[in-house]
Amino acid sequence: MSSSKPLPNSSSATILPPANKAFVPRDYSHGTELRFSTELPAKLQGRIPEEVFTAVIGNINQLLIAAETGSASVYLESCFACLTGYLAYICMETQYEKCLRSVSRLVEEYNRTVFGPRNLSMIDPSERGLRVIEIVLLRP
Amino acid sequence: MPKRWEVYPGKSQVLCSGRCISAKNLSVFYLTLALIVISSCLFLAFDCRLLAVTLSPSVPVLAAVQFIFVLCCLLRTTFSDPGIIPRGTPDEAAWIESQLEGPQVDRDGNYRPPVRLKDVQINGRVFKLKYCFTCKLWRPPRASHCSTCDNCVDRFDHHCPWVGNCVGRRNYRYFYLFLISLSVYCLYVMVFGIVNLVLLSNMRKDFLMAMKESPTSVLTILVAFFSIWSVVGLGGFHTMLICRETSTNEDIKGSFNQRRHPDLINPFDQGNGLANCCYVLFGPVTPSLLNFREDEIGLGSSISLVTNNGRNGTVSAAAASTAVTATPAVRYSNLTRNNNDATSNSVGHVNNSVQVISESLPAQLPGDGNDVIVKNGNGAPADGVISGGTDAVGAQNSNTQSASSVHCIV
Repeated sequence: MSSSKPLPNSSSATILPPANKAFVPRDYSHGTELRFSTELPAKLQGRIPEEVFTAVIGNINQLLIAAETGSASVYLESCFACLTGYLAYICMETQYEKCLRSVSRLVEEYNRTVFGPRNLSMIDPSERGLRVIEIVLLRP
Repeated sequence: MPKRWEVYPGKSQVLCSGRCISAKNLSVFYLTLALIVISSCLFLAFDCRLLAVTLSPSVPVLAAVQFIFVLCCLLRTTFSDPGIIPRGTPDEAAWIESQLEGPQVDRDGNYRPPVRLKDVQINGRVFKLKYCFTCKLWRPPRASHCSTCDNCVDRFDHHCPWVGNCVGRRNYRYFYLFLISLSVYCLYVMVFGIVNLVLLSNMRKDFLMAMKESPTSVLTILVAFFSIWSVVGLGGFHTMLICRETSTNEDIKGSFNQRRHPDLINPFDQGNGLANCCYVLFGPVTPSLLNFREDEIGLGSSISLVTNNGRNGTVSAAAASTAVTATPAVRYSNLTRNNNDATSNSVGHVNNSVQVISESLPAQLPGDGNDVIVKNGNGAPADGVISGGTDAVGAQNSNTQSASSVHCIV
């Protein structure tokens, strides 16, 4: 199993990406809403069918976009927190946190049923600061 | 194993073992705090004596309530994560930088630095995304790098020395409410300070005598008077920015300035000022992405296969990978409660019409009534899971679920 290549310091050397990881970047075409690109990374070609991958990322995107949507319950929750001087956040869980927790559980389930059998492992995007979805290729 | 706050690479100051974060230099913040606290104490201790008796006891009560609200907003602004985007891992950096055009020397022998811009279409408008070499990430639109704190901050507004922190997406509402509540409070203190002096001068029949008798009133009135100009001014400016759904940073750069660029649209504008206000002030709150209270588990390196006492390599690899993913399952709970009894009703409104063509996606998440339901092509639940792997995964999950800790609350 190859590990990630070290980054050379000289500007003339080539930087090699890690051989055992594929990254799914953020998709900003709809604005700053939380959405990841549904394009299958080159490293996963042949490892997972494209429609399965698109559906997985699509489901994750739906949960994430819901996290950032301003619904009536979100506004009420924020108003209530404001009235308590934001002390309510000490004991209350926000809608966003609940959504991200759902995403974590969904990623675990997908690892168990979709990625695990294909020797892949998806890292929860929250672990990567919602920058990328990292998919580890467990076997070359 | 070190916690993430212990290996935080930026220049912000991490306090209370990862529960709070602020700028390194807080000297101006202490001045702000001193001005507010000292003036309030003087007002409550001296002016309110006469006011409570002559006018109403609700005067000092309202003053105290406002004082507490102002302090809450100020402390929340100062000590919460403004929306810092955690730095990219070395693997991510390698992946992105391998795709960037490296530094080149062109035909004339001129050096061209590495290209680090990419164009992105957002709702009909072209944005240039920049790659931040310090933070090793593509900066989201509206994010900016704060050189004082050495972080990329989402929806960066400005770095405020008075408040001792960057103002960004997560703490903008606290900053704005601090400004508004402080404006109201300054006005309140100034008005009732003057009322106190007037009442005293009526009793003593001499205004100068009244001032000599209550010098603290004069002091609080002067502090409030000079503060009002700047606080109300800034509050008004930010009210205008909120209604236009722009940040100070974007306003300074003229990103959405329609006078300079008439065909420019703000793709983040919700349509009207009230909708923008509601979204900015009462919209969803992002939790801190820094996750300071969690263990630093060597995020940069690849996960290596570990064989473990006769178990096959696949199981151990699955276990190793879920050690990374299982821990966050309880991250978003501030209380020590088991993940399984969390209500998922809040996410129930997400439409569950995603159709999956392959049969290997689960029909429903275990234990969830209302989460996104992924329908299989033939309606059958998932199968084809690795035998033995599930037990390892299940064991890992139950171990991490029972061990939840108090998490970063700001």
